[in-house]
Amino acid sequence: MAAPGLAQKRRLMIMLCTFALIVAALIARLAYIQFVQGSELQKKAFVQQNSGRIISPIRGTIYDRNGKKLAISVQAGTISCNPNEVANNKKLTVDEVADALADMLSLERDDVYRLITKKANSAIIKRKIDKETETRIRTWMSENSVKGINIDEDAKRYYPNGNLMSHLLGFTGDDNQGLMGGVEEVMDKYLKGTPGKILSEVDARGGAVPSDSEKRIDAQDGLNVVLTIDETIQYLVSKSLDKAVEDNKVKGGAIGIVMDPNTGDILSMVSKPDYDLNTPFAFPANIQVEGLDPSEWVERSNESVNILSRTVWRNRAITDTYEPGSTFKSITTAAGIEEGVVTPDTITDDLPIKVTGWPKPINCWRVGRPHGTETFREAVYNSCNPAFVKVAQSLGIERFYSYVKAFGFMERTGIELKGEAKPQFQPKLKEIDMAVASFGQRFTITPLQLATAYTALVNGGRLMKPRLIKELTDSEGNVVEKFEPQVVRTVISEQTSKTVRDILEGVVGDSKGTGNNAFVRGYRVGGKTGTSETTKEDVYIASFCGFAPANDPQIVVLIVLMDPRGDSHMGGVIAAPIVGKIAEDVLSYMQVERQYTQEDLKAMTEEVYVPDVRKKTVAEAVKALKAAGLKYSIEGEGNNESTVVEQTPKPDSIVPEDSVVLLYTYKPESEQTVEMPDLSGKTLSEAINTLNRAGLNIKISGHGVVYKQQYVAGQDVRKGSVVLVEFRNLDNVE
Amino acid sequence: MKNKKPFDFLLFITVLILLSLGLIMVFSASAPTAEKYYGNIYHYINRQLVFAGLGMAAMLLAANYDYHKIGKKTVWILLLVSIVLLILVLIPGIGSESKGSWRWIIIAGFRFQPSELAKMALILFYSYSLSKRKKPLDSFFGDLLPYLFVLGIIVALLLLETHLSATIIMISIAMIILFAAGAKIRHFAALVLPVTALVIAVITFTDYMTPRLRSWIDPWSDPRGDGYQTIQSLYAIGSGGLFGRGLGQSMQKFLYVPEPQNDYIFPILAEELGFVGVVAVLLLFMIFIWRGIKIAVHAPDTYGCLIASGVTALIAVQSLFNVAVVTNSVPPTGVSLPFFSAGGTALILFMAEAGILLNVSRYSRYERI
Repeated sequence: MAAPGLAQKRRLMIMLCTFALIVAALIARLAYIQFVQGSELQKKAFVQQNSGRIISPIRGTIYDRNGKKLAISVQAGTISCNPNEVANNKKLTVDEVADALADMLSLERDDVYRLITKKANSAIIKRKIDKETETRIRTWMSENSVKGINIDEDAKRYYPNGNLMSHLLGFTGDDNQGLMGGVEEVMDKYLKGTPGKILSEVDARGGAVPSDSEKRIDAQDGLNVVLTIDETIQYLVSKSLDKAVEDNKVKGGAIGIVMDPNTGDILSMVSKPDYDLNTPFAFPANIQVEGLDPSEWVERSNESVNILSRTVWRNRAITDTYEPGSTFKSITTAAGIEEGVVTPDTITDDLPIKVTGWPKPINCWRVGRPHGTETFREAVYNSCNPAFVKVAQSLGIERFYSYVKAFGFMERTGIELKGEAKPQFQPKLKEIDMAVASFGQRFTITPLQLATAYTALVNGGRLMKPRLIKELTDSEGNVVEKFEPQVVRTVISEQTSKTVRDILEGVVGDSKGTGNNAFVRGYRVGGKTGTSETTKEDVYIASFCGFAPANDPQIVVLIVLMDPRGDSHMGGVIAAPIVGKIAEDVLSYMQVERQYTQEDLKAMTEEVYVPDVRKKTVAEAVKALKAAGLKYSIEGEGNNESTVVEQTPKPDSIVPEDSVVLLYTYKPESEQTVEMPDLSGKTLSEAINTLNRAGLNIKISGHGVVYKQQYVAGQDVRKGSVVLVEFRNLDNVE
Repeated sequence: MKNKKPFDFLLFITVLILLSLGLIMVFSASAPTAEKYYGNIYHYINRQLVFAGLGMAAMLLAANYDYHKIGKKTVWILLLVSIVLLILVLIPGIGSESKGSWRWIIIAGFRFQPSELAKMALILFYSYSLSKRKKPLDSFFGDLLPYLFVLGIIVALLLLETHLSATIIMISIAMIILFAAGAKIRHFAALVLPVTALVIAVITFTDYMTPRLRSWIDPWSDPRGDGYQTIQSLYAIGSGGLFGRGLGQSMQKFLYVPEPQNDYIFPILAEELGFVGVVAVLLLFMIFIWRGIKIAVHAPDTYGCLIASGVTALIAVQSLFNVAVVTNSVPPTGVSLPFFSAGGTALILFMAEAGILLNVSRYSRYERI
């Protein structure tokens, strides 16, 4: 037992030094972590410790121009889990939790199991669950004292109008981000808002840490977007298109655009077929696709999304290009008049015309019996191709195409939507290209481009940029940003515009005009028909682009029917009446005064007896009233087979032609009454308008301005009654 | 020889400071976990205070029990009991499994870790046996091999537990005692080859080390899996800065750092007390090592010298190893911090070992400095 020797002591000192070195190294390492990496680690730790609850912002509402809600956010639950806590459940095993949740949420059991056993602090199980399911889960949770399952309120997008704005709005994805190139996507950065956060310090399982440092950063709700769209007009156009698609067996889709020519505002833009924005992935029952079986439909599968993208999701008004055909002749007309190469009275003809670079001469559409020699105005009425070829030839390629370009046909309109197609022209424009382009062939454009060009045609020459977004407002309704109408350029003079309007009004107004089917008494519709061929045999596109009233256009209406398979495929036959109907509905909705001509008034004041249509079916009653020269309005629910119970005015009343007879399909418990308007001083035309708006009919005596009315203003009068109005000519009376 | 002196006062104070700091940190670090799993923030500290009391008793007892009385019989019994317990811990039903390792035996509700006892048994057995030798450790096969054989048995059993950290500590202590006892340097060199081969074999042929090595090199490669505890540890240390967040102010102890009262208590200390705190603690351990080695140098005999070397080596290796792990300086493995980490067996045995060290100091050949 000897004390440690010198060698041993040396070894012990080596040990001491070694440990001292290790301690020094560790201190250096700690200093490195705490000082060099410190701030970065601290930041990461802070994020982890404060990964508090996110407060979702409320996505902005989309309004129409009158403040009607088109897209709103409603509360919907998002169910998530904390896997650590799920495993700690006392009453239920993890398997039982998975089974129950899978059942209630209609999910695959294995998927749920994977989520609730995930190596993470939280996992989202399902989003946007409905209130009913939420209640069921909450009940189940409290009955079994389930831990680790959370239901957070989240926002779900809801579209009150379903199909009405499908392409304009688009829908939102799982994270409420806008999709489909519609307003939801294009305006996403404004609509989405900024998420807020509750910065309470949390432990690793997400529980709150006892501390007083809870900070709340409020979410900033998204801005509201106000569109230029008018919901009512959109509805009118949509209904008309639905009817047109059905009546004319339209196979290739239909488009309807209504614009305000003075501002470029899109009042309505409808593409058919459409889809319900609330169930965008559902089976498209409104279309026929070969081999498409509803029972085999798998929502969100690649195949189904593919079909939807090709069909109902397409915003044809901006994504589909087509040959505008004769609707383009208005443009050629405007260019010719502006450049002075033609006037309405210029004598021309529609004899076949030879064009360099083309073997066959160009004929009028009415090949068999051409219109022969006619004024240029008549050539437009008759839509004679050779006359327009001559105008184009007089202009020459350069001048002709400078107008095509100036009217915006060679570039996208720049509307605030994604997916706008590019117009297609021949790469090198030759004589023959110009010749056929004069009547709208061998180049393709989008429907929106044509409607936009018509704004310049009729508003005095200013090409407007199509405006879809009017303004942004905050949650209190204050306007945050306003998007003003934009004039792209002035294309033609005020005078030319006036002349063109005059000619195009004649196309509709003249009984021999090709657009006569668009005629509406009192609303002075002008426009041009179009029947385009496509690259496919026997596939036509019928269209009509109109505007009204011709003296001061308030709307431009374009209807395009692709591949109609009904009795006719002619634009003047099937598209023109739709434009007339829409123009009438929209202008009366916009309370634009009708301007009756003497001829109109004469036709309207011819008196007829009201037939007795009671106890007849609606269909029979309508037929009888039409035969008598009367209009009708159906009160109450009912289809063509319903029986008319009551009518106003009563049978055998004497009323002016075109008066409206109210047909009741139910026994009116108390008679509907309206307030008698004040007609004093009104002209005949004004008096008719005022009474019709109030739902009353007129019986006229005398002429001039209103001198006396049967009921005093403000009195309640049965709706549909005939009101006797006395007129006197008060002019030149001393 | 029997001229007893007062024990090394500086060492005693150092141990007391380390223990006190350890108790404070156990309380602070364990509170959230205790609240979460036991609904009682005092769960761990209450138990730890009991163990500290028992540990103090064990230390004072050992400090006053002449180490020369620890004879041949005692060291053999300790060694054999340790080996038997290390075998028992592997038998399901007696040993208890935790995260794939068999490390604990539950006796009367208290978890007991045989490997802690084995460390003490090895120190005492080596010290006794080596000090009784008549001739130096000249021959590898004749002199050194029996000791390596005993070590081999213990290491084999620890590897069966898959208790890597205990294995490393055991080998380190054994090597240091053999080094202090005068084993030839060339014999150590001869050992390097098989040990290296063993390490490479473990890395290559088992999956045990693969995730540890990966998460050591880049903890962020699997932040929610293998890298999780390392990342959380670094977050805690990094959040400390110079003076720390203040005692009790750790955020990382809120269930982020796994076992914040145990293997990862040091990061919580770093977060709460900052660089100043960790340097202070490392210096306290350094003082312990300095005094321990001084006691070894001044020991009256080889037995005392080797015991002192062994105990010092144990505390030094284990504490520095722990700090190296939590700072991600070495691949992660579960090793507790002496005097700090919550845990009964370890604390009582460390205190007892410190007591033996104090006892050796009472027989110092020099006056206390």
